[in-house]
Amino acid sequence: MNNPPAPDAGAPRRPTDWRGTAMQRRIRRRYAAERRFRLIGLGAVVLSAGFLAFLLITMLSNGIAGFTRTEVTLPIDFRAAQLDVTPQQLESRGADLALAGAGLEELVERSATAAFGAHGPDVISPHAWTGVRDALKDDPSLLNRKAAISVPVSQDLKSALDGAGKPEMQAIAAKLKQHDMIGSSFDFGFLMSADSTDPTDVGIWGAVKGSLFTMLVTLAIAFPIGVLSAVYLEEYARKNRWTDLIEVSINNLAAVPSIIFGLLGLAVFLSFMNLPRSASLVGGLTLALMIMPVIVIASRNAIKAVPPSIRDAALGVGASKVQVIFHHVLPLALPGILTGTIIGMARALGETAPLLMIGMRAFIAQPPEGLTDPATVLPVQIFLWSDQISRGFVERTSAAIIVLLLFLLAMNALAIYLRNRFETRW
Amino acid sequence: MTDTQAPAVRTDNTERATPKRETHIKMAARDVNVFYGTSHAIRDVSIDVDMENVTAFIGPSGCGKSTFLRTLNRMNDTIPIARVTGDITLDGEDIYSPDMDVVQLRARVGMVFQKPNPFPKSIYENVAYGPRIHGLAPAKRDLDGIVESALKRAGLWEEVKDRLDDSGTALSGGQQQRLCIARAIAVDPEVILMDEPCSALDPIATAKIEELIHALRGKYAIVIVTHNMQQAARVSQKTAFFHLGHLVEYGETSEIFTNPREERTKDYITGRYG
Repeated sequence: MNNPPAPDAGAPRRPTDWRGTAMQRRIRRRYAAERRFRLIGLGAVVLSAGFLAFLLITMLSNGIAGFTRTEVTLPIDFRAAQLDVTPQQLESRGADLALAGAGLEELVERSATAAFGAHGPDVISPHAWTGVRDALKDDPSLLNRKAAISVPVSQDLKSALDGAGKPEMQAIAAKLKQHDMIGSSFDFGFLMSADSTDPTDVGIWGAVKGSLFTMLVTLAIAFPIGVLSAVYLEEYARKNRWTDLIEVSINNLAAVPSIIFGLLGLAVFLSFMNLPRSASLVGGLTLALMIMPVIVIASRNAIKAVPPSIRDAALGVGASKVQVIFHHVLPLALPGILTGTIIGMARALGETAPLLMIGMRAFIAQPPEGLTDPATVLPVQIFLWSDQISRGFVERTSAAIIVLLLFLLAMNALAIYLRNRFETRW
Repeated sequence: MTDTQAPAVRTDNTERATPKRETHIKMAARDVNVFYGTSHAIRDVSIDVDMENVTAFIGPSGCGKSTFLRTLNRMNDTIPIARVTGDITLDGEDIYSPDMDVVQLRARVGMVFQKPNPFPKSIYENVAYGPRIHGLAPAKRDLDGIVESALKRAGLWEEVKDRLDDSGTALSGGQQQRLCIARAIAVDPEVILMDEPCSALDPIATAKIEELIHALRGKYAIVIVTHNMQQAARVSQKTAFFHLGHLVEYGETSEIFTNPREERTKDYITGRYG
């Protein structure tokens, strides 16, 4: 009734020709546009899936070899060698020392020379004797007989087996292959030891442990501080120029390049607070600074998404503000908060640059025992190995990348699970 | 705001509305003004709410009736720009005085909202939440009793007694609203404010809520905001007509609907505007 009359209300309108050619053309154009758009979208998906598949296939084909170790069967005559150890000593705690003192390493080298010729000691890995040592500890009765023990081969022989490397090694490799003395097995050592200079002896466990410690510190610092900041900003802080400024700063912090956080960590935690260099404690603190903005932003969005009717309901029965927050808002916001936190943690797990700044790139051959021990983390370990010239490290690098990707995959799967599991409908 | 001349009926409504029998005035508002920032939402409203009658607030959208309702249990405190002046008392106590604990006030003056808003928890937890945070039930057995009696009073017990552990959000809209009423009753309030409790419900669910309001009358002072004038006529004994932030007329419901004194009230209830 209060609509203004159309300007030309008097002239009768011609009936619309829904079947005319102009109309048909318009319809065809519309369908064509739709098809085009769908094709472009499909193309984008196929392209990104292709990149991902390429990455995964390359990593897997290189990396699988990194998880296995090539072994050669080495005959050793313990009875003739007359090692100066008793079976009782082998059962005791000092077995390692006793065997080393008894010249086990030399025995293994002698056996290698006997079995494979003058280049024998180069055929087996320099750490082969530790495998023999463990075999002796498992079965002391070996001391009184001849035995054939599988020991890891050297990097030189490994190259030779692939058809590269020194000619004398290639000759030995061919002979060994002929006599079927080469085997391979899953390399548990890779999962259980730390960095080393020899690619046949390196392990990922040191880096994994360092990553775990670092993540623990990051989570313990960033999660409570981030969530509490978000709660305060959303629920308590008055909206004024200061909170606007804080909001802008947090959004900017989330976009700051990670290396800057490394410099910050270097200046604050190492120079000012004198915390130990290369420690997972410092790494965790630095990464906590880095992902805190991510957690704050995710938590604020999750808190904002809690419908006001729930707050009203709780206030209406006389809940105090803190009760409203802890009984209703936070439980409902938790899936979003956790998802944001896990995504932030995944980012921190894959972060390299800031950790280089605080000295976590050192060569560390012992897995860290505590938060203040020198440590390295998975991505830094990958970075360090990828820098090595020795060929054996290529496979190890790929294997380490697979381990890192598995961790990331597990974390993202957890985030998705939490989101679906605790998604509440109201 | 075009309406500058203050309506004549502001404070004299008390004498006019003096009922025949003795009533116990539960809440009294005197010269209440509410501002949202610079906008003046409620202008000099004075009104008494008593124990024996259901009081209905009617008026066109945006007239301030919900705003005024929310001043009665200080729900407007949650809006930072809202400012309230004037006196509102509950049993003679000023509810805006610094001595008044707002958490206790809201327990004493319960509220039911426009859209059913059960917590996304079990039916039992929905009702038990209020008594628990106020420490009304020391033992689990007491709490069970409170939950059962609140659900019975809200007329929901028979429908849900076998599935108290189901989520409150899984109930139908009408059941959810009765659950919200049970939740409000469970803390044993003195006043229940209802902000258009039936606007999201179908006619059958609405009828159930209206029956419930009848049943609860006398035990609690009930104030209900409604857009539906038939509903106001059905459930209330007293009606207040709000327009543009003013309380235009307040009196016996029968009086307002059959013989309004104000022209604007008459226009509104006959559907001339609104």
